[in-house]
Amino acid sequence: MELFKTPHIRFMKHKVVALFASAIIVLAGVLNVAVFHGLKPGVDFGGGTLIRVEFKDPTFVDRVRKQLADVGLGGSVIQETGKKGHEYQIRTTQVIKGADQQQEMEAHERLADRVIEALRGNGGPDKLKVTSRETVGPQVGKDLRKKATQATIWALIGMLIYIAIRFKLEYGVAAIFTLTQDVLITMSIYSFTNREINLPIIAALLTIVGFSINDTIVIFDRVRENSKLYRKESLEEIMNLSLNQCLGRTMITSGTVFLTLLALYVFGGEVINDFAFIMLIGTIEGVYSTVYLSCPVVIFWQKLFKTKKGFRR
Amino acid sequence: MRKGLQWKLILALAVLGLSIFLAYPPKEKIKLGLDLKGGIHLVLQVLTEDAVNAETDQEILRFQELFKKNDITFQAATKDQPGRFVFTGTSASQEGKTRDLIDQYTRDWDYSFTGDRLIFTIKTLVTQVLKDQAVNQTVETIRNRIDQFGVAEPLIQRQGSERIVVELPGVTDPDRVKDLIKVTAVLEWKLVKAGPAADEETLTKEYGGKVPEDMEVLKGDPKKGEAGFFLVSRVASVTGKDLRMVRRSVDEWNNPAVSFSLNSEGARRFEKVTGENIGKPLAIILDGKVQSAPNINARISDSGIIQGRFTVEQAEDLVLVLKSGALPAGIRYLEERTIGPSLGADSVREGLLAGLVAILLVMTFMVFFYRLSGLNAVVALILNVVILFGCLGYFKATLTLPGIAGIILSIGMAVDANVLIFERIKEERAVGKNIPSAILLGFSRAFSAIFDSNLTTIISAIFLFQFGTGPIKGYAVTLIIGLVANMFTAVFVSHLIFDVAVPKSAKRLSI
Repeated sequence: MELFKTPHIRFMKHKVVALFASAIIVLAGVLNVAVFHGLKPGVDFGGGTLIRVEFKDPTFVDRVRKQLADVGLGGSVIQETGKKGHEYQIRTTQVIKGADQQQEMEAHERLADRVIEALRGNGGPDKLKVTSRETVGPQVGKDLRKKATQATIWALIGMLIYIAIRFKLEYGVAAIFTLTQDVLITMSIYSFTNREINLPIIAALLTIVGFSINDTIVIFDRVRENSKLYRKESLEEIMNLSLNQCLGRTMITSGTVFLTLLALYVFGGEVINDFAFIMLIGTIEGVYSTVYLSCPVVIFWQKLFKTKKGFRR
Repeated sequence: MRKGLQWKLILALAVLGLSIFLAYPPKEKIKLGLDLKGGIHLVLQVLTEDAVNAETDQEILRFQELFKKNDITFQAATKDQPGRFVFTGTSASQEGKTRDLIDQYTRDWDYSFTGDRLIFTIKTLVTQVLKDQAVNQTVETIRNRIDQFGVAEPLIQRQGSERIVVELPGVTDPDRVKDLIKVTAVLEWKLVKAGPAADEETLTKEYGGKVPEDMEVLKGDPKKGEAGFFLVSRVASVTGKDLRMVRRSVDEWNNPAVSFSLNSEGARRFEKVTGENIGKPLAIILDGKVQSAPNINARISDSGIIQGRFTVEQAEDLVLVLKSGALPAGIRYLEERTIGPSLGADSVREGLLAGLVAILLVMTFMVFFYRLSGLNAVVALILNVVILFGCLGYFKATLTLPGIAGIILSIGMAVDANVLIFERIKEERAVGKNIPSAILLGFSRAFSAIFDSNLTTIISAIFLFQFGTGPIKGYAVTLIIGLVANMFTAVFVSHLIFDVAVPKSAKRLSI
């Protein structure tokens, strides 16, 4: 079965407009993060305590908040998860300035105890079950942040070098631009949703980057091949041709992935939910970024440095 | 069947068989991470400075003894800071002799004479060795304690220079385990000179308001009902190192207690101390806190009992930590996570359901689009997942939530590889190639794209594995395995199926 005949869409005609559009989304995100503190570090990166509880009798977010406010913990982040009305996730946000880290850890622990006590009221573990409890000290939070950044940067450098060797330097540069945009735009949209950043979210981001680089390389591979076949064509024409030739594949692959993620989003339960959500944004973005960032960057780079068009290998 | 094809078929089946063998039954072979199984995850820091401090204290004592034995005069020896101490009142005329003596005795310390002061500083290299040993010993001691406590498949691992990661699957009572790990377990018996008293002043009144040099003030452990302060001798009569055996028992009122016996060297000292001090209190001190201070009723030689208002559990835990030995340095917690078993089980169930639905969707999709060729892709996809789990079983890798993300990405890329190949075959058919050569060209032309995209992602995953922490590592592992398996299934196995299923003379290709 064929989705459609190879079309002739002149994708590259709109490259400047597309670049501006991307820039605006990224800027909006950066602004939202920088000015309105849109990105909330979760317990993994921000430190503090995250408690997941299950009530025997259904309750409401507002009631939980009031119960906590009564004991002076009104600032806690409360999120309903999983079974409607029964399961909640509470993160204490009080900044504790202790003399040393150990005291800070213990203070976090005591806060968690107070949260549980307040919610239990005079009921016991039957009334409220604590399903998980995670405390991350300030030092580890900082370390996790540092290590995640470090790992990502090294991974990007590794990809840049490989692509530069297998293709050309400008393709590697374009890939890095693309991935940076993927991360920025996805985070930008994520920042408007009020969800927190935790380690699984970083894994999701890396997966998005993985899909996007896969997409980008498939197109670049086709460009590499077509450059050898049609030596007289301009690079822009070759890119248009390659994008059109690969369009069927792009649609089918992305469509499959999108469906898969939709399944995860619907059936995955609360732990996978955030993850699937950010992935859904990311897959759409990844396809877009291949067409309207990877390719334009290569074209602009070649114009800028006046290298000969296409491949000469 | 064509030659060579048989061998390829055998190879593919062998890989399938081996993978099933390695992954079946999955409940036993595939290790689930704490986020999926429930349990406790702790990160602790070893206060390595403690080890240097202890070494400094001991070295001061040894030097004092050495100097006394060799008639080298000095007034006092004091510790400046961990790793540095000063002898005052030394005489210049003995400098040569002192130098010879020190050089003969140890090379671990740098020293210098300034006036009548002799300053010792520990060598940086020695400090590093001490700290390193302290961390390794701590890992061993904690492992001992956990083993005796009885946890299936605990993970106790050094991380970096002074951190230790402890993962205890299935354990859900963090407080008890934390206390068990954290207690330094330095047990000492010291003679009580005065006390208990409400404050330090009362204690030292007898000594002119100052703590004499051979004594120290210790606090009682309020949890054990000893709230006051004690003035005790600085040198311990007997310590935990002299223990030969400890076990939980009861005292004469049937309260939980810990009975012990001493080795011959310890027994000799204990006999002397108790014999000379009948009627006086002897403090039992754990980690610098007085547990109880019973009066010595009679000369005791090699065995006795420790009382301290224990619960049964506390007495058991004390036995456990005394058996496993003292920690060489203090520790503190940096991170602790307790995941309840129900949450983990929910995650697994939901993850499995979601994964199953997702895979079924993908398969339906592929068969719908590519008909029989789609079925080929489905076979390759199943084989990919089987190999992935086989490898997870073989490498004893842990499957975590982010690990599932890695599997999703590798499945996505596996589908993409098949789509690339099939689209390419269609293109070749469209320009009029016959079926066998269209298949051959489809695979060879799509190969560079598949190879480059998989390898790029593998490269990035290797860096993530190298530099990332726990969850990110789990992600990288499944991704690397999945993509390597993908290169095998999507390119090799899928091609093989075409070769076997499509005869050379085929007129139609279901794609």
